[in-house]
Amino acid sequence: MVSRTVVGQSVDKLDGPALVTGQAVYTDDFSLPGMLFGKILWSSRAHARIRAIDTFAAERLPGIRLILHHGNVPRVAYTTAGQGFPEPSPYDSFIFDRKVRFVGDRVAAVFADNLIAAQEAVDLIRVEYEDLPAIFQPEEATQPNAPIIHDEEEIRGAFDPGHNLVSHLDLKIGDVEQSLAQATYQAEGTWITQFAQHVPMETHIVITYLDEWSRLVVRSSTQVPFHARRIISRLLDLPIQKVRVIKPRVGGGFGGKQEILLEDLCALATLRTRRPARIELSRKEEFVSARLMHPMKIQVRLGADSGGQLQAMEMRVLANTGAYGTHGSTVFFNTGSKTLPLYNKASHVRFVGDVVYTNLPVPGAYRGYGATEGYFALECAMDQLAAKMGMDPLLLRRKNHIREGETSPIFIKLGEGREGVDQTVQSCGLDRCIELGMKAFKWDEKRKNPRRIGSDRARGVGMSILMQGSSIPRVDMAAANLRMAEDGSFHLFLGATDIGTGSDTILAQIAAETIGLPTQRFTVHSSDTDFSPFDKGAYASSTTYLSGQAVYKAALAVRKQILGVAGLWFHVEPSTLEICQGVVFNRQGARLTLEEIGYRSYYLADQQQIEASASALSQASPPPFSAHFAEVEIDLETGIVRPLDYVVAVDCGVAINPELARGQVLGSLINGIGFALSEELLFSSRGVALNPNFLDYKILTSLDLPRIEIIPVETNEPTGPYGAKSIGEICINGPLPTLANAIFDATGIQMKEAPFTAERVWRALKRNE
Amino acid sequence: MKDFQLFSPTELEEALDLLTRHCGQMRILAGGTDLLIRMRDGQVQPETVLDLTRISALHFLRQDSNAIEIGPLITHTEVLCSPLLNQETPLLVQACRTIGGWQIRNRGTIGGNLCNASPAGDAVPPLYVLAAECTLASRRGRRVLPIQAFFHGPGQTVLAPDELLVGIQFPSPQPTPLQFFEKIGQRKALAISKVNMAFLGWTDQEGRFQKVRIALGAVAPTVVRAVRTEDYLVGKRPTADVIQAASDMIETEVQPIGDIRSTEQYRREVSGELLRLGLAKCQKEEHG
Ligand SMILES: Cc1cc2nc3c(=O)[nH]c(=O)nc-3n(C[C@H](O)[C@H](O)[C@H](O)COP(=O)(O)OP(=O)(O)OC[C@H]3O[C@@H](n4cnc5c(N)ncnc54)[C@H](O)[C@@H]3O)c2cc1C
Repeated sequence: MVSRTVVGQSVDKLDGPALVTGQAVYTDDFSLPGMLFGKILWSSRAHARIRAIDTFAAERLPGIRLILHHGNVPRVAYTTAGQGFPEPSPYDSFIFDRKVRFVGDRVAAVFADNLIAAQEAVDLIRVEYEDLPAIFQPEEATQPNAPIIHDEEEIRGAFDPGHNLVSHLDLKIGDVEQSLAQATYQAEGTWITQFAQHVPMETHIVITYLDEWSRLVVRSSTQVPFHARRIISRLLDLPIQKVRVIKPRVGGGFGGKQEILLEDLCALATLRTRRPARIELSRKEEFVSARLMHPMKIQVRLGADSGGQLQAMEMRVLANTGAYGTHGSTVFFNTGSKTLPLYNKASHVRFVGDVVYTNLPVPGAYRGYGATEGYFALECAMDQLAAKMGMDPLLLRRKNHIREGETSPIFIKLGEGREGVDQTVQSCGLDRCIELGMKAFKWDEKRKNPRRIGSDRARGVGMSILMQGSSIPRVDMAAANLRMAEDGSFHLFLGATDIGTGSDTILAQIAAETIGLPTQRFTVHSSDTDFSPFDKGAYASSTTYLSGQAVYKAALAVRKQILGVAGLWFHVEPSTLEICQGVVFNRQGARLTLEEIGYRSYYLADQQQIEASASALSQASPPPFSAHFAEVEIDLETGIVRPLDYVVAVDCGVAINPELARGQVLGSLINGIGFALSEELLFSSRGVALNPNFLDYKILTSLDLPRIEIIPVETNEPTGPYGAKSIGEICINGPLPTLANAIFDATGIQMKEAPFTAERVWRALKRNE
Repeated sequence: MKDFQLFSPTELEEALDLLTRHCGQMRILAGGTDLLIRMRDGQVQPETVLDLTRISALHFLRQDSNAIEIGPLITHTEVLCSPLLNQETPLLVQACRTIGGWQIRNRGTIGGNLCNASPAGDAVPPLYVLAAECTLASRRGRRVLPIQAFFHGPGQTVLAPDELLVGIQFPSPQPTPLQFFEKIGQRKALAISKVNMAFLGWTDQEGRFQKVRIALGAVAPTVVRAVRTEDYLVGKRPTADVIQAASDMIETEVQPIGDIRSTEQYRREVSGELLRLGLAKCQKEEHG
C-alpha cells in the first residue's frame, strides 16, 4: 500500500478550537438590528379543518409586526424533505393549510419585536376548528372507511392518498412461500419500533435577512443548504439567484435537519417586512413539530436448510409516517435495501410493505434511515433460527453473509423509492469483523458462562452483523473547489455540510494528502450557497465517500497545476517532480516552496490562479460492514437491563481520520443503545405527546453505558477516496438486535417491542413465569 | 420569566421580617433547582423572591450530644462529602448521591428537597426512617414537627406563608443499624425516582431485627412508612423466606399511581423488590 502521511492520521478538528472556546459560530450567535422574533401557533387538534382564524386581538398587541396563516401565504404543495430533485417524497405539505393533521401541526406564525410579545400574540389567536375523525394506529389507516388525511387535490407523489398510502411495494424474487414450506428450519416474528427523536443539542433555528442587494439571506442550522435554497425559491416564487443559504456550525443533525422546517416562514417575514427574522424551536417544539424516527412493525420469516443455509427471507413492513410523507417511501425502501443483501445466499426473497399516514407527528430522516428498524427484525429472527437449530448464532451468520466479489439482486431492485443500482461488493471486512470482534469480546468463553447469577439476576450475550451504504448512487452529486493563495495555503470551498461530523477536517485531509502538505494549511468554507459549489448535503452516509471523491479530483488537478509551475521554474518535466510537506523537489534535490510558487503565479511570471473545481457522482454505494457483540445483565425482579460490555468491529474501508471515525461509531452506538433501552415519545389517546421533555424522555448518560471497545477493520474500497467508505450511520443499527439477542440468551425471551425499558422487560418476564 | 424583585438578606431575622411584610407574595429561593424551573416556564410568577443563600445561620451541619442537626442550606454535595454523615447515616449519603447530577447536587439543598414536597424527593425517605424533626421559624416564633407532620400532600407542606424551615435534626442512630437507600429511576443519573426506599434496622446478637423502619417514596401522595412490614420483621432474621414475605407485604402497603414513568402495578411490585435488593447489598458488604 502507498504510504500516506495525512490520510489515516487523527488530525485535530479544524473547527475544534473555535467550538470549545465558544466563538460566535452557530446560527444563533448572531443578532441583527431590528430583528423580528417568530413564534408558531401549533394545532391543538389531531385532525381538523380550520373554519376561521381570528387574529384581531393578537394584532393589537404592541410590537406585533406580522401574522402569517393559510389565508395570507402562497399555497404551493411541496415536501419538507431536503432531497435531490425531483424529490422522492410526496408533495403533501403547504406553508399553512386549511387543515391540520396532527397535534403540533402549523397553524399560524407571529413575528414581533421581541419573543415575549410574539408568544403573547400566539396565545391570543383564536382558531375555530371543525374536528375530523383521526387515525392513531397505522393498521387503521388502510381500513375501508378510514378518514382520508390528505384529501387536498394538489397532492402529488403519494402512492394512494385516498387510502392513506404514501408508498406500497411488493418485491418478489423467486418463490418465498414454497421455499419456506420446504425449509428444514423456520423463524418468524413481528418486531415493533417506537417514535424517537434525534435530540440534537441545537434545536432547529433560522435567521433571515435581506442583503444590500435585496437578496434573501437564510442562515440556517441545516444539513442541506442547497436543497433548502431550491425549495425556498420554489415555495416563495423567488428566483434561486435571489436566495443565499448559509450554514454556520451546526449543533447536531442526525437526519432531523435534512428538512426545510422554518426557512419558509422566516423568509416570508423578511420579504414582507424587510426586517431580519428569527425562529428557534423550543425543546418541546423540537420533539413534537420537528421530525422523528419512523415507527415500524416488521414481520420477518426465514427459512433455512438442514445445514443452516438460508433459503428464503421475507420482510413485511408497516411504516407509520405520521401526518406527512417526508422521507416515507425512501426510508421504507432502505429498510429492505440496506438489510436483505447482507444474506445474499437466500435465493427466495420477498420485501413487501405499506407506508401510511396517521394523525401523529412526523417521522423523517433519522440516522440509520430505516435500516435500524429492519436490522432489529432481521437479526433477531436470525437468532431465533439459530436457537431452533441449536447452532451458535455467530456460525449461522458466517454461513450466510455476503462476501467480497459477490452481489445481491436487491441492489438493483431496491433504491431510493425506486429501482436501485447493480453493484458488486468490492471490499468486505465482515469476516474479520466477526473474527476480531468475537476474540476481543471472548464470545466462546462468555457463552459457556452460567446464565443465572444468584436468584434474581441473569446474564447473556448477543451479537449481530450489519451493513449500510455509502451515498445514493447515480442520484446525488458533490462538488468541491480548491484555490491556492500566494503563501501556499489553500481555501477549500465545499457544499459538503459539516454538521459536527468533522467532514471539513477529513475533506481537508484528503486534499492535503493529494497535494502533499499538512492539513493546517487549509481553510475550509462550508457551506454558503453563494460561494460553495453544489453538494447534496449531509445525509445518506455520503460525505466522506462522495464529497471526498470530488475533493480528491480537485486536489489532483491543483497538484498538476502546481507541478506545472514548478516545471517551468526548474525547466523540467512536471512528472519528474515531487511534493512533500508543501515543498516541491526535483530529482537533484532542489527545493521550491509552495509560497514561492504562489508568489510567482500571482505576481511574477505566467500569472494564473492555481485553482480547480471538480464534481463526483457515485456509481455504487459500497457498504461498510460491522459486527456487534454485547453482554447484558438483567435484574429479573425489576426488569432492569444493564449492558455490561459492548464490542464493535467495523469496516469503513480506510478511516481517513481514525479518531473522528471512532467518534462516529461511539456516537451512533450510544444513540442506538438509548433507542434500544429508553427513548420513546409517548402519546395520549388523542395524539398529544406526553413526554416532549428531558424529564420524561430519557437519553442515556455516560453512567448508563457499558464498557465499549471499538475495533477498526481496515479494507481498501477501490472506488472510495483513499479506500474510504462511510461510517456515520451503520453502527446505530446494532444495539437493538444485539441487546435483544443478549436478553434472549439470558432469559429465553425475545423482546420484540422497543425500547426494552425495565417495565417492558419485567412484564415479559412475568408473562413467561 | 417575569421580572421580580430579589431580596438577599444575610440575617435570619431580616429574612423573617421580609417574609412577614410580603406575606403570601414572596417565593423562597435556596438552590433554585426546583423553583427556577417553575418560574421559567411560568408556573409560578412571584413579584418578590427571598434568596436564602447568604444567611449563614441556615448553613450548618453539626452533632450535639447525640443529635445531628442539618441546616436547610446544606447541599446534596455537602452531604456526600461530610465525614459525619458518611459515618453515622450512610443511607442519607446514598440518597443524596442519586439526586440529579453533579451540577444539581452542587446547588440543590436538603431544605429545598423537603420544602418542594415531591413524593419522589430522594432525601425525604432517609429522614423519615431517621425520625427527623423539622424546625420552622417565623416572626411569631418557632415550632418543631416530626417529619411526617411536615407534609400535607404532593407539593404541599404545613409551612405558613411567613415561615421558613430553619433546621432538620435527628438522633444519631445508635448502635449502628443495618441501613440502605435504594432507588429505581429511568436511568442511572438525572432521573426522578419511580420508587425509592430507605431502610433502618437494628439487630440483636443473633441477627434478629429488634427495631425496623422502612419508608418509601413515589408510591403514595407523600413518603410513607411501611408499618406492618416493619412490625412483621421485628424478632425475625433476614432469611430469604422472611425477606420474600416482607417484600410481598410492602406491595400491599403502598398506594402508588400510574403515570408515564411507570404503571401502578410495576411500582407496587417493584417497591417490595427494593427491600430484597437493599438487604442483599447490606449482606454482601457484611460478608466482604
Ligand atoms: C435536572 C434535575 C434533576 C433532579 N433530580 C432530582 C433527583 O434525582 N431527586 C430529587 O429528589 N430531586 C431532584 N431534583 C429536584 C431538586 O433538585 C431537589 O429537590 C433539590 O433538593 C431542591 O433544592 P433547591 O435548594 O434547589 O430548592 P429550591 O428550588 O430553591 O426550592 C424548592 C422549594 O422549596 C422552597 N424552599 C427552599 N428552601 C426553603 C426553606 N428553607 N424554607 C421554606 N421553603 C423553602 C422554595 O420556595 C421552593 O418552593 C432535580 C432537579 C433537576 C432540575
